Amino acid sequence: MREYFENITRELFKNIKSNELLIINFDAEESKFVRLNKGKIRQAGSVKQISMTLSLSTKDKRNLKSYVRLNGSFERDISTLIKTLNYLRRELPDLPKDPYMMFSTSVHSTEISSEKQSTSDEVILEHILNSATKLDLVGIFSSGSIYTGLANSLGQKNWHEDYSFSFDYSIYNKNNNAIKLNYSSKKWNKDDYDFILNKGIEKLAILSNTEKKITTGEYRVYLEPSALNEIIDMMAWGGFSYKSNKIGTSPLHLLNKKERKLNELISIDENIKEGLSANFNSDGFIKPEEISMIKKGEFIESLTSPRSSLEYSVVHNAASPSEYPCSIDMKAGSISDDKILETIDNGIYISNLWYLNFSDRNNGRMTGLTRFGCFLVENGKLTAPINTMRFDDSVYSMLGDNLIGLTSSRELLIDSGTYEERSTSSARLPGAIVNNFKMTL
Amino acid sequence: MKNEFINQINSYLPNVDYCSFRFVSKYTNVLSVTRNVLEPIEIIEDEGLMVTVIHNGGYGYSATSDLTREGILKATEEAKKWSAFTKGNLIHQPTPPADIIDNGKYFTHEQDTWAKESNKDKVDYLYEINKALKSKPTISNWGASFRYNKIETLFTDTNGSKFRQNISYILPQLIACAEYKKEIQTRTYGGHAHARQIGYNFIKDSNLIDTATSIANDAIELSMAPNCPSKKCDALIAPDQMILQIHESIGHPLELDRILGDERNYAGSSFVNLDMFGKYKYGSEKLNISFNPEQESELASYNFDDDGTPAQKKYLIQNGLLKKPIGSFYSAQRAEQDYVACSRATSWNRPPIDRMGNINMEPGDTPLSEMIAAIEDGIFLETNNSWSIDDYRNKFQFGCEKGTIIKDGEMKGVVKNPNYRGITKDFWHNLAMVGDESSYSILGTANCGKGEPNQTIFVGHATPSCLFKDIDVFGGE
Repeated sequence: MREYFENITRELFKNIKSNELLIINFDAEESKFVRLNKGKIRQAGSVKQISMTLSLSTKDKRNLKSYVRLNGSFERDISTLIKTLNYLRRELPDLPKDPYMMFSTSVHSTEISSEKQSTSDEVILEHILNSATKLDLVGIFSSGSIYTGLANSLGQKNWHEDYSFSFDYSIYNKNNNAIKLNYSSKKWNKDDYDFILNKGIEKLAILSNTEKKITTGEYRVYLEPSALNEIIDMMAWGGFSYKSNKIGTSPLHLLNKKERKLNELISIDENIKEGLSANFNSDGFIKPEEISMIKKGEFIESLTSPRSSLEYSVVHNAASPSEYPCSIDMKAGSISDDKILETIDNGIYISNLWYLNFSDRNNGRMTGLTRFGCFLVENGKLTAPINTMRFDDSVYSMLGDNLIGLTSSRELLIDSGTYEERSTSSARLPGAIVNNFKMTL
Repeated sequence: MKNEFINQINSYLPNVDYCSFRFVSKYTNVLSVTRNVLEPIEIIEDEGLMVTVIHNGGYGYSATSDLTREGILKATEEAKKWSAFTKGNLIHQPTPPADIIDNGKYFTHEQDTWAKESNKDKVDYLYEINKALKSKPTISNWGASFRYNKIETLFTDTNGSKFRQNISYILPQLIACAEYKKEIQTRTYGGHAHARQIGYNFIKDSNLIDTATSIANDAIELSMAPNCPSKKCDALIAPDQMILQIHESIGHPLELDRILGDERNYAGSSFVNLDMFGKYKYGSEKLNISFNPEQESELASYNFDDDGTPAQKKYLIQNGLLKKPIGSFYSAQRAEQDYVACSRATSWNRPPIDRMGNINMEPGDTPLSEMIAAIEDGIFLETNNSWSIDDYRNKFQFGCEKGTIIKDGEMKGVVKNPNYRGITKDFWHNLAMVGDESSYSILGTANCGKGEPNQTIFVGHATPSCLFKDIDVFGGE
């Protein structure tokens, strides 16, 4: 794939005129997807896809780009791409100048490649299917290499190639209660897989107890890292974006304006260095290794794209055009895992939250539901599964005055999303114990 | 060229029990002017082929963007390998259709094509709309865009079926945000609701300058308005919120693959089970819901689904009684139910699954004015901005951009952050009046997410305004 990318880009740059700048963004994946239901295969297949985005600009700040799907064959694709380049060149003079156009002009080439693991998908899948023979297991196994490249006509080249797999699944009991599990890694280890599955099976046994119906009201709750991640993900829906905070559509705009504060325990970074995403953006800028977005409950720095930097005359930090984080890294607290239930004492243990949305975006208030593995805690012990409950609460309450503490251990959650292509986003975060968590339905 | 291509790839079909080739070519063009500046124009050209093999008790697929002979043959071998691997491990062994589609066709009717108007003219119109949106100093953010999508599908299989479908749709989007004392309120047009299979004339006929002025004024009024009160009252729901209500609490729970458990790890299950079809009262007598791929200009109108099942209108709920699931030919085999042509994939690189097509609320007989007049204490809810429902599609909470208090049959003033919540099983029984043809709107949303691997797809909903009794409404902080 790398050689193909090199050959194509070299040939395209031969066609660039002196007043033009061409940036080529390359994306490809060779993926396998096996979908399971009730421990059996529902759908199984492979996807091979290659695409390039050609972004042509002129010195007078006109720019046009086009995304093209490709075959992977040099002869056929170069002809398609040259046609696209000529189309962009023809259209450019009719477009207005783009006052917010900005591309990296300092050449900074990078390369990150990881080797593909030796265990075959067939061996992994046989193990998974054998482990699921007596389980009601449902989910998806995805695997394969993801390639991201950038080259510009100034001579910059960036390459990011990564192999990974993800098995995102749930196990159900006869009462339709479930535990959600995930095993994602770059190298398969069947003992690691078995360990995660067996822990899930142990938890599922507690779900077999008679369900206790809880009513609306306020509860002390423990949010597992995956549940807390849903809340952070909602905050990230414009919350860390410079532009969204400037125009006021950010759910954290009051935090950004120092009108509100979160609990001092809350510190959140964008940590590219330890994440899975490429370290360069589509304009060719290299991302900082770490950006402190919230520190001790206060807003520190937004994710600022080059476009926003020109629109608002501020310095950018190579954020993507969406200004959305891709490698959330939240600081740990001091509650050890063995003290979680004791700290809750009487309340609810929430493994997952689901389908969050805003009930008052202006004030950071959101709603959502409990899902998978949520238990009543009585006198410091998990006693029974609970019915599905809706919460509706403000981030300034949940992660503000009502935050009791964060766990000392954290989990790395690799996004198993596969819209259009396999995601490379991740989040590392602790669990949280929250008082007066509002259940409304 | 297309006929040549389909004939050419037809010769690559392998000698197996069943194989289909589904070629998809997608073109997307998005023009967007935000705060009076043209954003980078999006042009996307995407094409590829999905090979599906059913052979000797197995099933497999392989999708590739390599459309050379070698690429297609390689993908076919890969699909055959998956078919061999899955033999004996499948939850359901699919039986392929026996019917043959002889050169089937479907084309969106575009009175004016997208290409007829130049980019420059479209962008100039967007600048004009921006000017109308930024009508007052308190407008803090504004923008407008036009999205055009064209999706061509060519299908051929070892049964000898062949069809070609060209679907194109247009989505105008407008946004205005107003700020007053650090309170920011947003009004939009188009985003969640106004996608249509229609020509560029739709944009011209929509009078977007007036719409821009209207939503900007709304945003300003909302930024100074009180919060929606918390109470139980009548809710008159406008079509651009009804589509979300139908989508989340009827469309999704009736998807047969959910009922069969396929989505339990991701998009969720359903409170509906197989025993309920033909027996369960889903709502009041006034509730009539159809799967209608035949509705002219609606977003998910087509003649064939992505498995090649011919599409026709069928009732899912009639006079409140649950009749049919949204289940495809293959899902219906698993569940021994009747099917609708709902097997749809987002593109060439994802396998088809059970999807909503056009899921419509049939119009009733009450004019909007009569519904308003019948309300003693209620609220008129317009334009969805928040959606959340549990994984069995029961406990929902939805938010709208604008609420208007109705007292003794009259509109009495705007409230901000109107939300309402309820339980699906109860909610549809509170349907008291259904609007007539005059409030019936053909709408559609371009982004419905579901499936593993994940897929977004466009779905249509046509609906009038509807009146519900005893709804739990509330506001923001």
